[in-house]
Amino acid sequence: MKQFVSFVIKEAKHILRDKRTMLILFGMPVVMMLLFGFAISTDVKNVRTVMVTSQADHMTRMAADRLAASEYFTIVGTVGTPQEAELLIRGQKADMAVVFGHDFASKKSGVQLIVDGSDPNMAQQWGTYAQQVMANPQQMAPVNTKMLYNPQMRSAYNFVPAIMGMLLMLVCAMMTSISIVREKEKGTMEVLLVSPVKPLMVIVAKAIPYLVLAFGILITILLMARFVLDVPLAGSLLWILAVSTLYILLALSLGLLISNVAQTQLVALLLSAMVLLMPVVMLSGMMFPVESMPKILQWISAVVPPRYYIDAMRKLMIMGVGISEITKEVAILGGMTAVLLTVALKKFKTRLE
Amino acid sequence: MNAIEVNNISKSYGKIKALEKVSLAVEKGEVFGLIGPDGAGKTTLFRILCTLLLPDSGTARVDGFDTVGQMKEIRRRVGYMPGRFSLYQDLTVEENLKFFATLFGTTVEAGYDSISAIYSQIERFKDRKAGSLSGGMKQKLALSCALVHEPSILLLDEPTTGVDPVSRKEFWDMLQTLKERGITIVASTPYLDEVRCCDRVAFLDHGQVRGIDTPQVILNRFADIFNPPGIDRESGTEASEEHVIEVEHLVKTFGNFNAVDDISFAVKKGEIFGFLGANGAGKTTAMHMLTGLNQPTSGTGRVVGYDIRTQYEQIKRHIGYMSQRFSLYEDLTVAENIRLFAGIYGMDDKSIAGKTDEVLERLQFIEHKNDLVASLPLGWKQKLAFTVSIFHEPGVVFLDEPTGGVDPATRRQFWELIYDAAQRGITVFVTTHYMDEAEYCDRISIMVDGKIRALGTPDDLKREFNQPDMDHVFTFLARKATRQSD
Amino acid sequence: MALKYLIRKEFLQIKRNAFLPRLIVMFPIIIMCVMPWVMNMEVKNIRVDVVDNDRSTISQRLVHNIETSRYFIFNGQKPSYRAALSEVERGQADVVLVVPPHYGRDMACGRNPQMLIAANAVNGTKGSMGSAYLSQIVTAQAMPSTTAMRNGASTLLLYNKNQNYKLFMIPALLAIVMMLMTGFLPTLNIVGEKEAGTIEQINVTPVSKWAFILAKLIPYWIIALFIISMCLLLAWLIYGLTPAGSVGYIYLLAMLLALFFSSFGLIVSNYSDTMQQAMFVMWFFVVCIMLLSGLFTPTRSMPDWAYLTTYVNPMHYFIDAVRTVFIRGGGLQDIGRQVTALLVIGTVMTVWSVASYKKNN
Repeated sequence: MKQFVSFVIKEAKHILRDKRTMLILFGMPVVMMLLFGFAISTDVKNVRTVMVTSQADHMTRMAADRLAASEYFTIVGTVGTPQEAELLIRGQKADMAVVFGHDFASKKSGVQLIVDGSDPNMAQQWGTYAQQVMANPQQMAPVNTKMLYNPQMRSAYNFVPAIMGMLLMLVCAMMTSISIVREKEKGTMEVLLVSPVKPLMVIVAKAIPYLVLAFGILITILLMARFVLDVPLAGSLLWILAVSTLYILLALSLGLLISNVAQTQLVALLLSAMVLLMPVVMLSGMMFPVESMPKILQWISAVVPPRYYIDAMRKLMIMGVGISEITKEVAILGGMTAVLLTVALKKFKTRLE
Repeated sequence: MNAIEVNNISKSYGKIKALEKVSLAVEKGEVFGLIGPDGAGKTTLFRILCTLLLPDSGTARVDGFDTVGQMKEIRRRVGYMPGRFSLYQDLTVEENLKFFATLFGTTVEAGYDSISAIYSQIERFKDRKAGSLSGGMKQKLALSCALVHEPSILLLDEPTTGVDPVSRKEFWDMLQTLKERGITIVASTPYLDEVRCCDRVAFLDHGQVRGIDTPQVILNRFADIFNPPGIDRESGTEASEEHVIEVEHLVKTFGNFNAVDDISFAVKKGEIFGFLGANGAGKTTAMHMLTGLNQPTSGTGRVVGYDIRTQYEQIKRHIGYMSQRFSLYEDLTVAENIRLFAGIYGMDDKSIAGKTDEVLERLQFIEHKNDLVASLPLGWKQKLAFTVSIFHEPGVVFLDEPTGGVDPATRRQFWELIYDAAQRGITVFVTTHYMDEAEYCDRISIMVDGKIRALGTPDDLKREFNQPDMDHVFTFLARKATRQSD
Repeated sequence: MALKYLIRKEFLQIKRNAFLPRLIVMFPIIIMCVMPWVMNMEVKNIRVDVVDNDRSTISQRLVHNIETSRYFIFNGQKPSYRAALSEVERGQADVVLVVPPHYGRDMACGRNPQMLIAANAVNGTKGSMGSAYLSQIVTAQAMPSTTAMRNGASTLLLYNKNQNYKLFMIPALLAIVMMLMTGFLPTLNIVGEKEAGTIEQINVTPVSKWAFILAKLIPYWIIALFIISMCLLLAWLIYGLTPAGSVGYIYLLAMLLALFFSSFGLIVSNYSDTMQQAMFVMWFFVVCIMLLSGLFTPTRSMPDWAYLTTYVNPMHYFIDAVRTVFIRGGGLQDIGRQVTALLVIGTVMTVWSVASYKKNN
């Protein structure tokens, strides 16, 4: 037991002594939460709009005022012809142009929107918003729209679970694998193996500080989400922590598996970056919705563990559903953990190659 | 019962046969030496004995337990220090020691007696991180870590490489104490004086045991390898009075610590100048200042006529340097390494190609021209590194422990190259821990605690301090050290 | 002169590496074959649950309209709002459309009945776009006249007329390629030489700082250009997408971005001792630079303080300019500002990187 404790302490010192890495490990969640919470959004805002009109009559001005008054659009100028407007758009000085026909005032028609279509999603939304803003406000809409779970449509709601999924995977899998491989590379692993300590203990002792670190990061994220970003933790905190623990275990086993394969730190780094980070960011549904992908990629994403974790967290944290609604995700995560851990421990070499 | 029994063990990596039908037996309480040139299979044998590797065929029993089937029993009983043993760089000296003590189920206090001779030298630096110790100091700490517990069998793979002579003697004294307590010790070493401290030695060559006997018998039987005849140096070139290196009151301070403390000396053109000193005496720091890698804190120095403070880029043009760590590119071939460094010094392709063949021919190495450096044995790497460092015919070449960890025959060949270079007028500035090599130098200086304590020809020094050989001169001076290390 | 030998050495080392040559060949292929499909933020296949409390022909027509829409998948009729909501909770539906009782009758009487659209807005974009599309369908059916009026305000999409998300993302992929090839790889390479000790051997030779650094960068620049060419070629072969503007400008911009990323990587490696450290520090900054550049999200939507950072974000200038060239077909007059900004940022970083590389302490 004493050996075990001193092992854990030693490992913790390695982590604590590397100030720069520590700073990044805790700085990363904080900065990412702030960025996603405050800086990055897909809201329609400040769309630079030019008015294209040959004469400034009352109706044109009314429409322009209405656009300018909304927070969605900023009028950046008025030009005479659509051609001029297009030049402005091409030069990235405007995003959208509103072309009023000659007889706009009299016939109440003949408005055309010219939208920079480079980003299809945004272009769609700009068009819809502009039409709504300019439309006659007296008319009552025939639908009543209700945004569930996220009435203000804040992107933070969507990203907090994703950040958790990514960072926990990064810290646990990447850091553990590198720290084990480093001992291999430096030759200290030989001594550890030949010592009377059981190999399993070496591994467990290595994993514990990272487990603690991962919890530290998890709690940082949750606290920030709740008190800085005002993301409600709608579900039960206990279950959030329980599912996260399962996920952390899964990530640790993955790290262990990588450390069995890799012989040098560089390989471990690249392996974790290539086979862990890339799929996590790309295929887990963190940024890009899985259901828009072709079938084959959807199948591949089915074996990416963070996909299930992020899904489960979105439901638990944001939608506030009970554990019974996410049994499928939890079962898959549990199964994956069991398989990976068994394989990793089986493959752990107590001898050199 | 024998402590270790090895029966017909073979092991190969791909096509390379590391061990071929090796059999040997080590008695309980014996100090058993394992000697042989680089690539003889010593490390492989160690790893098989401590159960890290499985043999292809044959069996080995350690303390009565089979290495294949009874791994756990053996691991509980042996202590092993691998050749490239490295400490945890980011832990302090004390933390490292404590960790290894706990690892082996003991405490520093309990094991203190068995390590005090060496550990006391570094104990005052116990709060310093292992990564900031000098090379030799790290080795001493590694030794302390390996010896802090008392296993029944101790396996040491070249434990004293890079350690100064005084500390090596202390280390072997410690091994004797352990032996008296009944611990069996198997150690490999390239140092002849250490070989003589063993009860019996096995000479391994190309994976085969060539002989097992007392050190005296083995050393005599293979005298051509272990005790090569001295090198005759044609003392044709009378060293001119022109000074290539001049140093006055050079000081380098790290924090409040004077690593180099006011040294002054001069090296004549064409001279072989031995720059000796205990681990951490400041040799490498001084050399870094002379080669323009570090700025001196105070004092002046000129190398090949240029000021080391301001004109270090010009100095670099006219010197060669071979660092302590092997530092050619392992993933390039022999010829490619030569071409790279020659090209850096401004030679053109044609003259490089011509000279490469000529030099490799002379080294009898031409057939390995297109081999990757990584695949060469250590001795050859070092010879190659030296060849590269003087390829552009520099005025001075700086060699920082160029022959660490190499067997006597290879070292002798290395020194033939050095003499050859000196013959051509290249001044050689060399540090070493081998005192027989010190005798090969024209003049030597011995650094203790950052200061030069002795300077002169080997014969002068022996006379001055009234000692029979350089080994004793060095021990005499180094024992007076107060600070022991940086 | 020495530069030639150093560059040759770098190429040999890259060739001998077990991993890099494969990376250089496989990377553009994977990036171009997989990424455009993955990086698809197009909102489609939205699953709609309909709770029909009216059961008139009107609501049936509505369901039919939903089924034919390219955005929606009709998920089925649900007996109650509660039942539909639980499907949303289980992640089996995205939007619920509730038709109130007597909808058809009220409609006929001109009473303006209201339908309820409840969208899962955890993913804000998906929620808002889904509900917007759905309300368009409902409105079109409820008030054909309004729609006619709105259709009067027609929308003309410029440049990306087919609303092809891949066209939007390919410039972003070019940016990512440049970042990985000219930022990460040289950094790891230099820190690797530090760890192996070979850098000490180089430092005692008369090689100038510039020569050493350039020798590290030039091979990766060449490789990056090769990969960019491969990507452009593959974009044409696989997706039939070609730059609307001149390819030359794309290369110019790529080189300028390479200048920034290489210098940035060098600065990181000069201040790091281990690969792990270098990798983490790099990664941290790169993620920030990427997220704030408008690669995936519009910079205009950012709050003012965040928008200010885009003035010093080279990735922002790059992606802006490269989209202008690639999608909008802009020329030098359209990207002059971005080119100047990239040049200034790149130069500052290069000077810093060379100054921070110390041969002599």
